[in-house]
Amino acid sequence: MKWSIDFKGVLSPFGILGAMFQKPNTIAYPSVKKELVTGYRGFHTNLLATCIGCANCQDVCMNEAIDMIKIDEVYNEKNASQCIPRIDYGRCCWCSLCTDVCPPHSLKLEEECIGISKYASDFLYLPKNK
Amino acid sequence: MENKHITVFHGPQHPGITGNMSVELDLIGETIQKATTHVGYLHRGFEKLIERRTVIQAFTIVCRICVPEPDPNEANFAMAVEELAGIEVSKRAQYIRVMVLELSRLTAQFLWMAGQSGSIGLYAVGQWAIADRDLILDLFEELTGARVYHMYIYPGGVRRDLPEGFLEKVEKFLIYMQKRLEDYDNAFIYNASFKNRAIGVGVILKEDALQNGYVGQALRGCGIKADVRKDAPYLIYNELDFEVPTQEAGDVYARALVRRAEMDQSLHILRQVIAKMPEGTVMTKLPAHRKFKLKKDDTWVKVESARGEFAYYMAGDGSEYIRRMQVRGPSLVHAFTLLEELLVGAELSDVALIMNSLGICPPEIER
Repeated sequence: MKWSIDFKGVLSPFGILGAMFQKPNTIAYPSVKKELVTGYRGFHTNLLATCIGCANCQDVCMNEAIDMIKIDEVYNEKNASQCIPRIDYGRCCWCSLCTDVCPPHSLKLEEECIGISKYASDFLYLPKNK
Repeated sequence: MENKHITVFHGPQHPGITGNMSVELDLIGETIQKATTHVGYLHRGFEKLIERRTVIQAFTIVCRICVPEPDPNEANFAMAVEELAGIEVSKRAQYIRVMVLELSRLTAQFLWMAGQSGSIGLYAVGQWAIADRDLILDLFEELTGARVYHMYIYPGGVRRDLPEGFLEKVEKFLIYMQKRLEDYDNAFIYNASFKNRAIGVGVILKEDALQNGYVGQALRGCGIKADVRKDAPYLIYNELDFEVPTQEAGDVYARALVRRAEMDQSLHILRQVIAKMPEGTVMTKLPAHRKFKLKKDDTWVKVESARGEFAYYMAGDGSEYIRRMQVRGPSLVHAFTLLEELLVGAELSDVALIMNSLGICPPEIER
């Protein structure tokens, strides 16, 4: 049997020891917060002054995550149905189709994406008015 | 002592591949006598789901067909819809699509590298690969608004234009990655322990590869120069200069070398895309949600994913619904015809190594 030693193959992996002196890639969350990226698809916002309650968002949502719910207060007189969207974050996949089809562009996604609650009912999320 | 037959289920959770799939192994000692692939752990019925949704709604499902690289699915879907609906795509959108596809190819190659090195115990390389993949995900996050399921390549173009300074960031990443890949070569590709484990293992013969319809590295690893980007160019690949790397040996190591060379080619393509990026719009005006109709026709489109040829069949019936869509990825034939054959005679410890080298993605089998 012929023996041979692959010197390059044996020695080259030791090069990874240099990584010990490099800056680590990980961050110590939550003491170091990750910067939110502009345009990240996080939570919904809905500017009620412009929302017309057309339910286009409900129609396009393939996960059936959007319900139109009745509100008492009048924010926009063009909103004849007096309904605004409520999102079920147990079903939402953040595809952003609802914001694409919104005629007055009142429904948007903001960068904020961290929400914690011990109640399952909090998955039903009423977008912030902004 | 006499060796007895034993049966071992390898999976459905195991280091070999991304997703749930099991292989039933009949062993004598450590040598595999028979391998049978079992799927069904990850069936989500994408094709059927798509038939019940409008064109625009179906768009959000396709990226989930393959987790490690969702973008070839989006590109295929968009190209099929554009053909059936007669939509033109601007040049800038096509360049951005190629950029996204190549970045996606790199993320998939890093995920492969993490799995392949992990399958032989080189965990440091795996952690590096995942960390470097994250840098690409950061770029995706900025471009598309999401890290893994981008939902960005849309029928008619892409959903957003490039953010300010994005191309410079990609350029910076390319410079970093060109240097960084040398570390991977030293730690993984040239590593004697990887060579000893991978050379001569999982050998695919050229004749079998041609007869059985294998794709991607399984073909190129045994010397067949097949790449959809060259053979049937889509988007703007015919305007770009790149090579199709091949190897002759057909074993796990040959496939690893092909993948490593493809990473270099991806960087090369990305540099050209950045240099040639044209100005213009990125999205064609589309009909409204319920008025977006496909003509009564069918089409077959394909792209080259990181794991090989990836094709969609799509048929429209004149309504806003897709009549039928079928996914033909590399995984089905690789997981059954190829894997079951390659594992016979292999050692138990090589199962994850061989599985990972074939680019099998179970959700794509059970679409």
